[in-house]
Amino acid sequence: MSADEDENAAELKIGEEFLKAKCLMNCEVALILDRRLEQLQQMSDDPTNQMSQVFEKSHQYVKRFSRYKNQDAVKQVREILSRNKLAEFELCVLGNLCPETVEEAIAMVPSLKMEDDHMLLDMDPLTNMVQLSSSECSC
Amino acid sequence: MVFLDIEINETVIIPPSELNPSSLLLRKAIILRLLNYISRKKASEEHGYYVAVRTLNTVGDGEVNGLTGDVHFPVSFNCATTKPYKGEILIGTIDRVRRQGIFLISGPIQNIFLSEKTMKDYQFNNIEEPVFVSANGQSKFEKGGNVRFRILGVKWIESDREFQVLGTIAGDFLGPV
Repeated sequence: MSADEDENAAELKIGEEFLKAKCLMNCEVALILDRRLEQLQQMSDDPTNQMSQVFEKSHQYVKRFSRYKNQDAVKQVREILSRNKLAEFELCVLGNLCPETVEEAIAMVPSLKMEDDHMLLDMDPLTNMVQLSSSECSC
Repeated sequence: MVFLDIEINETVIIPPSELNPSSLLLRKAIILRLLNYISRKKASEEHGYYVAVRTLNTVGDGEVNGLTGDVHFPVSFNCATTKPYKGEILIGTIDRVRRQGIFLISGPIQNIFLSEKTMKDYQFNNIEEPVFVSANGQSKFEKGGNVRFRILGVKWIESDREFQVLGTIAGDFLGPV
């Protein structure tokens, strides 16, 4: 497991192929898994036993912790967050955890510390998101 | 937890009984086999937990295995996966409370341990049911509660095909939510 010494999410060292991959936020995954569930129920001859444990647990988790229930809110959030120069990974962590202050955001995503000039810009999108989440949130 | 959508290349093996001149049925057989294979595989050390296959990108030309008659199709597809990383901040649900610490579940990760050594401000209490209570009695860890924690270490267990995670709540904004 030599990769473990180098991998550290706090410093955004997570392996090259993951940096290039597209990241999905909890709410996006909730929509994807809902659609898959519908497809499975329509398509299978044996509906009782098509879902693996991983699928089921992830579905429960994502439904519980997704902040925005409808698709437009999700698209807006992604758009707001992408206006800053964030890596995909950081974007998703912020979208999932919805920090309310700059300090909380830096605590959640320590790699943000390296871009302090952009910290002032980050505050506005964050407050927008918090407003969006409180109006849409129904958990 | 961050879900990643990555492209994976695998080989799907189709036994001769499912080979059919109609290419549609063949495609269906390949897709079903792939879904079955991924759901049995559950997780891997390299990619993490396989949550859901999203799209099938390409199916290559099949290679016939002379001995058994099976055909091997190289397949490329996109899959949503999730992998726990050191330093990541997650929210978990408390599953078991013990004297030495608490066990959490977060999404597909069933095996997360928070040692009581990282919870110095909390006392273990076993009156009606085991809980950890803070010194001022304001917050506590009990079964079913949610905890925000940071991952200290991750280990891949080959025999169970899952990850074992060690966590801590030492840090700002961490602890019960």
